[in-house]
Amino acid sequence: MSTKSIDLTLEIWRQKDSKSKGDFEKYSLENISTGMSFLEMLDVLNENLTGRGLDPVAFDHDCREGICGMCGAVINGIAHGPEPETTLCQLHMRHFNDGDILVIEPFRSRAFPIHKDLITDRSALDRIIQAGGYVSVNTGGTPDGNAIPIPSATAESAMDAAACIGCGACVASCPNGAAMLFTGAKISQLSLLPQGQPERKERAMAMVTTMDKEGFGNCTNERECEAVCPKRVSIANIARMNREFVKAALLG
Amino acid sequence: MACSGFLLILFLCSHAAGNATLFSSVALFQAYADMLHSHPLIVSMFSKGLLLVFIIHIVTGALLFLQNRRARSQGYKVQRRAVKNSQASATMIYSGLTILLFVLLHTYVVSFGNHKTIGETIVNLFSSFFVSIFYIVSFIGLAIHLSHGFWSMLQTFGINHPRYNSFIQRLSYLMPIFFLLIFGSIPLLFLFGTGQ
Repeated sequence: MSTKSIDLTLEIWRQKDSKSKGDFEKYSLENISTGMSFLEMLDVLNENLTGRGLDPVAFDHDCREGICGMCGAVINGIAHGPEPETTLCQLHMRHFNDGDILVIEPFRSRAFPIHKDLITDRSALDRIIQAGGYVSVNTGGTPDGNAIPIPSATAESAMDAAACIGCGACVASCPNGAAMLFTGAKISQLSLLPQGQPERKERAMAMVTTMDKEGFGNCTNERECEAVCPKRVSIANIARMNREFVKAALLG
Repeated sequence: MACSGFLLILFLCSHAAGNATLFSSVALFQAYADMLHSHPLIVSMFSKGLLLVFIIHIVTGALLFLQNRRARSQGYKVQRRAVKNSQASATMIYSGLTILLFVLLHTYVVSFGNHKTIGETIVNLFSSFFVSIFYIVSFIGLAIHLSHGFWSMLQTFGINHPRYNSFIQRLSYLMPIFFLLIFGSIPLLFLFGTGQ
């Protein structure tokens, strides 16, 4: 694929720390190769800024191959940018045109306080996991891989839910700031498999309660989460979470 | 929200069935209303139950709206939706308020209005062009509300399975259209003078 160079105008949310009030700042970038990823484009911007003695734009990133869930920002109103099923690091500049204006905002929600610029504190998701996203395993030798038979269809559904990388795009894009897709995926993944059965009921109750406590909103089935999810986690997982929660609440 | 919504859909079914008698004649409709009112206990139980379900639906809906607005405390500079055709889901509170306004006016006129019989009221009411249009507009609001509400209710109940999803999707188009046709054609019937 041939690469070309494009010029861009960026409007980026700049915020010094969690206490200060942020605002947008405009930057012009020239000669951006369309072969670059979005984060590499930000790297170029930061090199320019550092060279001019200015504070570089802080953004989260780690693996840069779309599997760790660390990166993420809202580009022109869409979490992880305009390409479906793509994390920000895997979004390439060839999807943009010369002269585009890109508004880059952090993942926002009441439960996601902003640390600095594009970095948001997503530890509320970790606390949902801590509340029930675990299984009990007896210590000892390594268990045999096929000791517990699992039907192929069940394993596939569990794997589809387990594809969630916890990036928080679902929360960021939800008009209600809800974390139901994330929590639904985690509850589904464990409740589908035999290994997750012992804590099944406590898990559903604890994770849903923690989700509410952390200040996330409620699901009104707008489907935005599913549309922006880089791993295409389905809202069928939210339906499963609802079933798990009702079962746990009614049957105890 | 979903439970009260389900009960309200059941109410809509019975209301639509009752109204359908108007397609035959006003006299049959009057006979149906008289038959209902000859069992005052049933009427009183159902109307009070319905009021309760309505209030639950409105209060939980308003609470959801307020809680969710607080959870999305910071909006984005660029507001865009990734989902196409999301108008119905994004405007549930507003289509809901339209229905509430309609229900208030409708019960005021029909149940507490100054009239001799319900049949006469209906004939008088729909002889006015503006009243008929108001009714039809409200029914369109109801259809929009249902087009998201019905599917949303099933999803909340946890009914989401690849085997049934295409059927549910078709139903969530057809059901609002069905109610719109039944309810909406009655004012049209009288407006064009074909109702008798």
